[in-house]
Amino acid sequence: MNSVEMIDIVKQYPLVRAVDHVSFSLGQGEIHSLLGENGAGKSTLMKILYGMTQPDEGQIRVKGQPVRIRSPKDAIALGIGMVHQHFMLSPVMSVTENIIVNHEPKKGWVIDEKRAQQEIQTLIDRFHFNIDTRARVQTLSVGEQQRVEILKAIYRGADTLILDEPTAVLTPQEVEELFTIMRGLKQDGKSIIIITHKLKETLAIADRISVLRDGKMVQSGLPLGNATTQDLARMMVGRDVELNVRRENRHRGEDYFEIRDVCLKERGVDVLKQISLTIRKGEILGIAGIEGNGQTELIEVLTGLRPMDSGEIAIGHQPVTGSAHTFLKRKIGHIPEDRLSRGLVSEMSIQDNLILGYHDEPRFLKKGFLDKKNIRQYAQEAIEEYMIKTPNGNELVSSLSGGNQQKVVIARVFKQNPEVLIAAQPTRGVDVGAMEYIHRQLLRLRDEGKAILLISADLDEVRSLSDRIAVIYDGRIVSVQDADKTDELTLGLLMTGGKEEACA
Amino acid sequence: MLNNMTGILSTMLSMAIPLVLAALGGVYSVRSGIMALGLESMILTGAFTAAAGSFYSGNAWIGLLCGMAGGMLFGLCHGVLCIRYKVNQVISGIGLNLLATAASTLLMQIIWGNKGNSEAVASLNTKLTFLEDIPIIGDILSRQSVLLIFTIAACLVSGWILFKTPFGLRMRMVGENPKAASSMGVPVRRIKYIGVIVCGALAGLAGAYLSIDSLNMFVRDMSSSRGYIAVAIAILSRYNPFNVLLCGSLFALCDAVQIYVQGYGIPSQLVQMIPYIVTLLVLAFGVKNIQPPAGVGKYEDE
Amino acid sequence: MRKLTEKLMNASPVMISVVSFLLAILVSCLIMLCCGYDPIFAYSVIFEGSLGSVRSLTNTLIQATPLILTGLAFMVGKKATLINLGVEGQMYTGAIIAAIVGMLDLGMPGSLQLFLALVCGIVGGSLAGALIGFLKVRFGSNEVITTTMTNFIIINFCDYLVNYPLKAEGAVAQTNKIMEGALFAKLIPGYQLTWAIVVAVAAAVVVRIVMDKTRFGFEVRAVGLNMKAAETAGIRVGGIMMKAMLFSGALAGLCGAVHVTSVGKRFISGFSPGYGFSGISVSALASDSPLGIVAAGIIFGALKTGAMYLNMMSQIPTEFVSVIQALVVIFVSAPLLIRSLLGAGRRSRKGGRSLA
Repeated sequence: MNSVEMIDIVKQYPLVRAVDHVSFSLGQGEIHSLLGENGAGKSTLMKILYGMTQPDEGQIRVKGQPVRIRSPKDAIALGIGMVHQHFMLSPVMSVTENIIVNHEPKKGWVIDEKRAQQEIQTLIDRFHFNIDTRARVQTLSVGEQQRVEILKAIYRGADTLILDEPTAVLTPQEVEELFTIMRGLKQDGKSIIIITHKLKETLAIADRISVLRDGKMVQSGLPLGNATTQDLARMMVGRDVELNVRRENRHRGEDYFEIRDVCLKERGVDVLKQISLTIRKGEILGIAGIEGNGQTELIEVLTGLRPMDSGEIAIGHQPVTGSAHTFLKRKIGHIPEDRLSRGLVSEMSIQDNLILGYHDEPRFLKKGFLDKKNIRQYAQEAIEEYMIKTPNGNELVSSLSGGNQQKVVIARVFKQNPEVLIAAQPTRGVDVGAMEYIHRQLLRLRDEGKAILLISADLDEVRSLSDRIAVIYDGRIVSVQDADKTDELTLGLLMTGGKEEACA
Repeated sequence: MLNNMTGILSTMLSMAIPLVLAALGGVYSVRSGIMALGLESMILTGAFTAAAGSFYSGNAWIGLLCGMAGGMLFGLCHGVLCIRYKVNQVISGIGLNLLATAASTLLMQIIWGNKGNSEAVASLNTKLTFLEDIPIIGDILSRQSVLLIFTIAACLVSGWILFKTPFGLRMRMVGENPKAASSMGVPVRRIKYIGVIVCGALAGLAGAYLSIDSLNMFVRDMSSSRGYIAVAIAILSRYNPFNVLLCGSLFALCDAVQIYVQGYGIPSQLVQMIPYIVTLLVLAFGVKNIQPPAGVGKYEDE
Repeated sequence: MRKLTEKLMNASPVMISVVSFLLAILVSCLIMLCCGYDPIFAYSVIFEGSLGSVRSLTNTLIQATPLILTGLAFMVGKKATLINLGVEGQMYTGAIIAAIVGMLDLGMPGSLQLFLALVCGIVGGSLAGALIGFLKVRFGSNEVITTTMTNFIIINFCDYLVNYPLKAEGAVAQTNKIMEGALFAKLIPGYQLTWAIVVAVAAAVVVRIVMDKTRFGFEVRAVGLNMKAAETAGIRVGGIMMKAMLFSGALAGLCGAVHVTSVGKRFISGFSPGYGFSGISVSALASDSPLGIVAAGIIFGALKTGAMYLNMMSQIPTEFVSVIQALVVIFVSAPLLIRSLLGAGRRSRKGGRSLA
């Protein structure tokens, strides 16, 4: 019997039909991969199953019984648990508190903490989770936090688990551990849905595979044996894709952007430890690492957003010091990690966002007054050149899609012709089309002889674009190697601090 | 000297009651993720409805209930605006504060035909006289309102609720991460409403204490920014009900000293600045690294 | 018809403001009805008393002057995410300083002394504003609370000054009169209205130009809408907040200075019926547009003038205007509420048709 069946589900949002007559079934005790690009409707479909949103049409059956799932509470009662991509945890509260909330064992009127601890410890031991129930969540690693999320579901008696992009934030080693855990859960009789856009992982763990594209189910429940990478990729994207961008150009110039012995302390803890890197002209240096190992701080230091405690930054042997403003003036372009929080002012016009940070350039500013005519003309050029889909530059940035928003950021920086580019997560949350476009632009800039530092959580992206790859671990650069000479396993090991190597 | 001390301590206790009650209300509101800048309106409305209730019924205890109800009404308004209509929580609080000031003055004129204060109404006037015989402190305590006991008990019980009971855990989770709470099936909105309404009830009670316990009438703007001071107390006590008792007393001490110093011929205008200056200093130097729960002021709770 | 309602549903800020205002008026009518007054009579009296004659019109403009300036002051702070409840205190600062400068016999031409008084008032107000900015930027102190506290401190201190060192002879707590020449001249002979209103409107024009067309305005907008993005773009967020508070305080100070040198003629203890807080409503009704603030200031000025006239004719207290102002703040900040009200109206109308 199928543990979950979703039949002919439709979900209409004001502008898009996110899920279009989709049927999906999950067998008892199987791991089922739900594959699709960003915005294909995977998450919406699973939110429907978990009661976070209601379908407009269709039926859901759990263990053969038709059910209505109006809220996560209903889903939990039906034995469905979800591990969200962005963890639903409170960092300042303990593991136990996070797990038991709304399902607390009671002794009279108060929470029976002892019993809660014991019950959770039993689960931890059974599945070899290896976490301290009393620790505050903020002290745990990302992998451990994910296990807390899984525990939350199991503690509530879930026998069907939905994992939303569970590997996005993990290192290759942690992914292996997760897969081991998933297999353990499967043996225990749990059924698991894994939402992902990564083909490799799908092929490594899934028993069956379903593919969604543009809200439609293009392949339902394909057994693992019948699937190939190329087929799945074509189904996901709807056309043949090049899975790897080619890196042809070999015109690396002289050393240009130099970072020497950069150190930074935060509340007494060293977050950056003697970071030294040199980027040549016409080179992309990629930084691989698990999030939270100092990347954000490094970006902030390299863009002047945060003063370093000691060390030196230089462009063409000229030291750079000062505020973010100075760094911009010295032609260090910055594609921020998170376009909506740092990159764009979404309630300002596209035009204003295109000059943000450069609005004091003489061509935009005359005697303290903005030159609206020039700005408009400049924005029009940028919109055409970078193919930003919008009726005109006066529209708010919030009216654009994620990919087009990112193009605004790219256009702003690239049009200023930076000598050095700090590109952080340049393709996070954009569709494949925009991703290819942005990758091409980055390579073009490199071929023009600029020095580019690429920081990305997506190891595949770092590997396919970079000429050299540095690995950051615990605030330290643990290795720098030519990209050709690296392999995924070694990088993964370095990212977890498993093996230290002398800097190349 | 001893007389002065007991005088100051006694005044401190009576000044502490409204501050602690209101700040405790603020703790509930903030713990459930709603900023408490509307406290001022809840105190003022509580003071007004308590006086009106006492005026019409002739019974101060009914007045007290009316005071709580008035505070709850404004708490509910704040809740509806912030939770249902996703209004900026600061603006909502300020709008309600303006409304409470305007409405109480308007209604005072309509009911009592006077712009400055209401007629004298029945006041609570139940003191802890049975504590008179306790050595040393009996003298101080016996002059206090019964609400003092309620205030202390409310803080202790609230601490127990927040940190020991399932409801408290859920409320803290709602304040810290509403999305997480919601994904675990916690009724986020309901808990937020409970938070603001309890906040309103406590602040309303604080107001009732001002109008029909420490006085026997409503006076225009009688909350005189206690709501804002209470917010400062709530922050300083790190949103912990036990600490509220302590921090509230500290601020009340300033009030007591202020009243005491006024007897010494220093212009009252200067002396009255003391509590506000202290609050300002505390805000500038005392509370720098205190973070409110992470979910405060956010709207994505679905 | 359908198009119209759709337009209402996608309500623009102006639409939200208009509907909010009408709703607030409606509520005030209900209050009057409950208290046994005839709202139609009341509003016709208000109309007559505020706009019915040249004299009432000039009175309206007199009332509007401080409202426009405090509205501008509040708006400038808000654009930089700062809720400046301290407009009242900053206005008192400007007023007391301008009154002191204005009442001294400096032996200079009157108009120059007026100018000096205004400038000193502006400086005083801006310093009071900058203090709040400093506390916010340096210590992260919540400006809503610090401004409330400083209001009390400043107002009490002014009270002390006019009760003791600066007290004019007589029973009233007030300063001496400002030198005759240093007062604003009448705009129209025979009426109380002075050039002060022109100053207020000019201030609105200046604010609009600054916010719309200058680098400072651009940076304030960026900071106000996304602080982190502004920081990333090399804008000094703290500096901009400080400057915005300085600017906001300057406008508040100007308001106080203008008041004592026009209708006030001296600093009188407790001269303000809460102009600073009315500024919040004015700015809300104008949905934070500088020129809209002129209109909103005049609308509230008219209400206030009319209400005072009404108060003379009947027993209706003028405070209902404050209730309207408070409701406007609440309604304007709740576009979702307005939209759902409009939506409900549309549904019921539809229902009515289908029944018929």
